[in-house]
Amino acid sequence: MLRSSSRNTKLRSRFLPGLILLCFACSLVSVSQAQEIVELKLPNSNKVSIKLMFKNGSISDPEGLEGITQATASIVVQGGTQELSYSAIQDRVYPMAARYGVSSDKEVTTFSFEVHQDHVDEFYPILKGLILTPRFAEEDFNRVMVNQQNFVDQTIRASSDEDYSKKALEDLLFRDTNYQHMKQGSSASVNNINLDEVRTHYQEMFTKTNLIVGIAGNYSDGFLEQLKQDLQQLPDTSPSVPEPGAARMPNGIEVEIVAKQGAFGSVIFTGFPLQLTRADDEFAALMVANSYLGEHRKSYSRLYQKIREARSMNYGDYSYIEWYEGGGRNMLPPSGVPRSSNYFSMWVRPVQIASQLRQQYPELADLEVGHAHFALRMSVKELDVLVEQGLSEEDFEATRDFLLSYTKLYAQTPSSRLGYLMDSRFYGREDYLAELDQLLKDLTLEQVNAAIKKHWQVDNMFVTIITDVSEAQALADSLENNLSSPMSYSNVMFEGLSDEIKQEDALVADYPLNVRKVTIVDSADTFK
Amino acid sequence: MNTKPGILLLLAALVSCSDDVDTAASSEISTSVEAAAQSSSVETAAVVDKILPYPMTQHQLANGLNVVTVPFDSPGTAAFYAVVRVGARDEVEDGVTGFAHFFEHMMFRGTDTYSKEQYQDALKSSGASANANTSADRTVYHMTGNVERLDLMFELEADRFMNLNYSEHDFRTEAGAVKGEYTKNYASPYQQLYEMTKNTAFDVHTYKHTTMGFFDDIVDMPNQYDYSLEFFDRFYRPEYTTLVVVGDVTPERVNQLAETYYGSWERGDYITEVPAEPMQTATRFVHLQNGNIPSHISLNYKGPAFDDRAIDMPALDVLSQLLFARTSPLYRKLVLEERKARSVGGGAGDSRDPSLFSIDASLIDKADMQYVKDEIVAAIETIKNEGVDQATLNSIKSNLKYGFAMSIDNPDSIARSLSHYIMLTGDPETINRLYAQYDTVTVADVQAVTARYFVDSGLTIATISEDESGGIQ
Repeated sequence: MLRSSSRNTKLRSRFLPGLILLCFACSLVSVSQAQEIVELKLPNSNKVSIKLMFKNGSISDPEGLEGITQATASIVVQGGTQELSYSAIQDRVYPMAARYGVSSDKEVTTFSFEVHQDHVDEFYPILKGLILTPRFAEEDFNRVMVNQQNFVDQTIRASSDEDYSKKALEDLLFRDTNYQHMKQGSSASVNNINLDEVRTHYQEMFTKTNLIVGIAGNYSDGFLEQLKQDLQQLPDTSPSVPEPGAARMPNGIEVEIVAKQGAFGSVIFTGFPLQLTRADDEFAALMVANSYLGEHRKSYSRLYQKIREARSMNYGDYSYIEWYEGGGRNMLPPSGVPRSSNYFSMWVRPVQIASQLRQQYPELADLEVGHAHFALRMSVKELDVLVEQGLSEEDFEATRDFLLSYTKLYAQTPSSRLGYLMDSRFYGREDYLAELDQLLKDLTLEQVNAAIKKHWQVDNMFVTIITDVSEAQALADSLENNLSSPMSYSNVMFEGLSDEIKQEDALVADYPLNVRKVTIVDSADTFK
Repeated sequence: MNTKPGILLLLAALVSCSDDVDTAASSEISTSVEAAAQSSSVETAAVVDKILPYPMTQHQLANGLNVVTVPFDSPGTAAFYAVVRVGARDEVEDGVTGFAHFFEHMMFRGTDTYSKEQYQDALKSSGASANANTSADRTVYHMTGNVERLDLMFELEADRFMNLNYSEHDFRTEAGAVKGEYTKNYASPYQQLYEMTKNTAFDVHTYKHTTMGFFDDIVDMPNQYDYSLEFFDRFYRPEYTTLVVVGDVTPERVNQLAETYYGSWERGDYITEVPAEPMQTATRFVHLQNGNIPSHISLNYKGPAFDDRAIDMPALDVLSQLLFARTSPLYRKLVLEERKARSVGGGAGDSRDPSLFSIDASLIDKADMQYVKDEIVAAIETIKNEGVDQATLNSIKSNLKYGFAMSIDNPDSIARSLSHYIMLTGDPETINRLYAQYDTVTVADVQAVTARYFVDSGLTIATISEDESGGIQ
């Protein structure tokens, strides 16, 4: 564990039962019969949202059975109850258009249900049956496992190189810890999982002692009482959830190039451990710095401006101080993925490879390495500038002002509001977004720049690059030998470049990266 | 939000973000669009028989710009959408496919008032979640944020819609970002198949190409600066545009902002002449050889254009539920019982011109491809010949209504839904008309559209497998 002992203490104390009853705006927190309840009453809503968050995720997967938590949760929602088969449930739920599902991450698994107020009573027995008496039928198990096996065997490597690069980085950062494996597991481990193990895993790991219950919308007190009472039927054993594994700090910059047949570009994901989470007040300071450097999908951040806007190299470039679920499809950070082991990361979306550039532009016919080396240098250099110089007063004020408004958009729906409140509990907070607002208001420039100095550096990081097989070796040689990597523009682009850009390009081309290790991995050998 | 079942290939249709559904037109609005001599307002009270349970006001400026306001209980927050009815459909000239989407990118490159750097600073100061996306039939620019900063949002949007000004170098630079977006998307074999399917299913209509455009045209984009100026002049006009504001606002405030910032925008006169697609006469085939993902089959039937006065599209939406909902016999057989398919789904794409009803199935074993295709066709035939019982039909109608009612729980989703129907008809009231039509769909209607559109001569079969060809008949 790399977490400081003081923060450990803080986190644990916040998880202790007996929390003080507090009321914020529309939310209410209470502790009842060892259950933590998060309430968000919305009398004008036409529906009820319920979330059951178990503090148990993929880190609880036993060795050799990686992926079992995800599988177990999936079979619960894609299966039946003791009374009703999966098909019978669908027959009842369909006319209501009620929705339910599950999301599983490293440390939590959250079942979500949403139903129109007209159907709450009719729907509730299904919710209750799924959670208290799941069917775990052989046919449901087989169906779910075939898809999960396919995900680890094929989908992760073949559908999105961007997601692939992120999973590959976590595989490096968390090597030999319970945080290393994908929540879906690996080819070998998924194949090991059998139905009896799934039943046992549910019985042992999804208990009332590690549950946070969330409810939002237009519900009655009586309904909530019933829900609380019924959930008491969950096992009262305390699951042995292991301590979360911590990210490791590499010695220098370690690059893993994943060589893939038919890749159209090179996608880069890079990161290093971060000793900070939402539980820490200092997180707000680093949030300002990160927003300035690389706010997700925002064109005014530094990385985006330098790599995409000025140089036309790719679709976007961002940085993160916590895991961002579904970065390719979400504009705003979703709830439901709280983590206590954290890392900083930068994401460079696919840049051009040499073979493509050679085909497109005769003037680049002799090119051997595409844009990946330059893009990596540019990203690290921007981070370097920030570490050395910090934010200016003007940038600090503009970025803080942006965040004060923008973070209020994180929770626009009843479900996302409830989700953020529940994540707050994970971090030992009452209402993270409300508290963040005050923390941002109280921030000073000095605190932000001190946080940058304390938590960010450029000498040690892991880098994963998914690229085409034709690019891998030349890119590896370039990185390993710290070769100059001048930016290769087409003629039409080059003729319009300003002197300022050209001068900066020259500096970036030879910006020294502390590369200590470069390996090439065949895509077929990942996540086995 | 539209409750049409998710389809892998249809997901690829939208470039940048995601998008969806909404509302019905009124004759008053149509009339005022024709007249366009002075501003006019129409308020639609919230009534119990309309699917949108909130009052909606439409106000048309003298220049033809329509302004739609829906007050919603979202304290301090509003969604501001600008829907421009231009998309890949309008790319009729050779060599400029993908231009509507490319132009969406250029809209972030500055004006005389705000240089590109100043624009970025101002955008940041809005504190909004802002972006844009393009599809075949429209381009949508959206900002959701602090309602106290709505004036700034209006100022920024109006300024770039009226006074966009970028250098040729900035134009060339942005072309690289579009190529980067194509590179990102192309990693998905489903995107590749989608591109191939459109190119095969259509001969002359502009639905032949995806919103991203043909790759050769994307590579050539840096050389099309002059065309980009023409493009802006044609389409970024008030008669092509509708503003939608949903949230903590009043129509009075929104209309006043629109008059202030958009009042001087000059109307244009360009109308795209999209080539009509000739009748397809035989089944077409296209195949992607890729052994790295599960084998896949996609059946694409030529379908109708969206028309909120005809029963065809509502009936097809009901049909897609009959065929692919998790309660359907086909889903149960292929996915749950026989486990031949990982998933099966499909539906008609809402579009301004006749497009495709696409059905997609991901297979467990490629050897079952012909069997799965035959089962899908057999399920369609069964409905065509035998119809469906009234209870099932009622269940679908209930699902459609409750699904929509539960989805409109924030300003963004409401504005997104309205934008979808504005794209289709120009009128947000289409949403109310469509859901009223769902109520009237009969078994005979479903049988009629099944017979009309599901014919072999209108079919394009697209497949993915490790083999050199799909081998499907």
